Amino acid sequence: MAEFMGYHRPNGDVGIRNHLLILSGTVYANGVCERVADTIYGAVPIVHANGRCQVAPDLRVTRRFLAGTAMNPNVGGVVIVDHFREEGMTAEDLADDIAPTGKLIATVNIRGDGGFISAIEKATRYAQDFARQISLYRREAAPMSKILFGTECGTSDTTSGLGSNPANGLAGEILIAQGGRMLMAECTEWMGCENWLTEKAASPAVAEAIVAGVQHMESRALASGEDIRGSQPTGDNMAGGLTTIEEKSMGAVKKIGDSPIIEYLEIGEAPTRTDPGNYVMYGPGMGAESISSMAAAGCQVLTFCTGGGHTSNHPVMPTIKVTANRQSFELMRDTVDVDVSGVFHDEITLAEAGQIVYDEVERVCNGYLTKSEALRDNNSFAIHRVGPSI
Amino acid sequence: MKKVFVVYATDNVGTVVLDPIQAGDHVTCNGERRDIEIVAHDDIAYGHKIALMDIAEGDTVLKYGLSIGSASCDIRAGDHVHTHNVESNRGRGDLADREAVSAE
Repeated sequence: MAEFMGYHRPNGDVGIRNHLLILSGTVYANGVCERVADTIYGAVPIVHANGRCQVAPDLRVTRRFLAGTAMNPNVGGVVIVDHFREEGMTAEDLADDIAPTGKLIATVNIRGDGGFISAIEKATRYAQDFARQISLYRREAAPMSKILFGTECGTSDTTSGLGSNPANGLAGEILIAQGGRMLMAECTEWMGCENWLTEKAASPAVAEAIVAGVQHMESRALASGEDIRGSQPTGDNMAGGLTTIEEKSMGAVKKIGDSPIIEYLEIGEAPTRTDPGNYVMYGPGMGAESISSMAAAGCQVLTFCTGGGHTSNHPVMPTIKVTANRQSFELMRDTVDVDVSGVFHDEITLAEAGQIVYDEVERVCNGYLTKSEALRDNNSFAIHRVGPSI
Repeated sequence: MKKVFVVYATDNVGTVVLDPIQAGDHVTCNGERRDIEIVAHDDIAYGHKIALMDIAEGDTVLKYGLSIGSASCDIRAGDHVHTHNVESNRGRGDLADREAVSAE
């Protein structure tokens, strides 16, 4: 069985990176987190606009995203910074969620610790200590079955559904054959090919959840006054050659291969099963929210298939950009990692393209930096929300 | 000779992913199906589809080995395949209404 070299965590998870997070509990702690991360070697700030004055369902999603990101196997330690507040989502609540992973955790409260400057000092001392402690962690061999491989597509074009997405699905099948798991979100893009997905469902409950998830996303769109069914494919899509919603969705869901769908997850929720196969998650098509939900679910690595080229990169989950559009690869070569456009030029087969994608995933699992990681362009942490600010 | 890409061996349409096609061009395939040579009846732009064989009205249009809709009229091998000759079979509120009316 194939292995990779990763960081073994106390709870049995294996990370492919060893990050120290400076995690902001609320929008008002972002400034402190950024100052601390500026000071400490290798520290990654997680900042966002959420955590205050949200309706209860949104607050629960925010908590799941923040705690889940810290629980991701790629994280070795976390310093949580919070502002004085009373909702059921304080730094201590987040620390309680993260604690079962056994990783290093410290909390700082801006008011409780004497204000902005004192909080920075306290958090910086924790972060310095943690950065040194986790620097002693070493990569050790682990089976590829420990990998939860997320996948996304964005800025799609004709080449996506025909090249990069099917190649990616084949890469997922290679991982699954070694006992691994692949996760796909973006249920907006399952519309029109629910049957193709439900045929793969490992149980009737999973099939029902898939159909219900699509209906829920549709009804949300309808409630906003937008009928996504009437406008899919979009005018741009049709001008580009896409004829029906079935065609558009099939291109998108081909990011996963033919293995069974083991479990349906709510947004940001970690799988409860370890069976090899495909996993699917409720969530929007919006790229940053979608890939952040998969990082919160525990994906160590993600492929981002793109037609036009992309810059998306998650701060803790290496984000490998794959394109089958040769021109996009040339224009966006600073941030696009893999070019499989050879499938259209009789240079490689789809199966070979799948192997190329898989090989890149395996290299990144072993520590190879993606192009965006090397640039430290950590642009894609975003928390999904449904309700208004109140 | 122009080429279109076929993503699955049982597909009856191919997609233009290299040079655009002009009416009268001889067209072959690459990808998962290479046994076909046709003459294009229409100009077909990048990203658009061409019929690899005759598809009768009501028959299934196959891409990815799966239905992307039904032919809304007879389609000849070499025709441009798009919204003018293919209908979606999903999310068709209009069809549900028609069936409800005819049932009354």
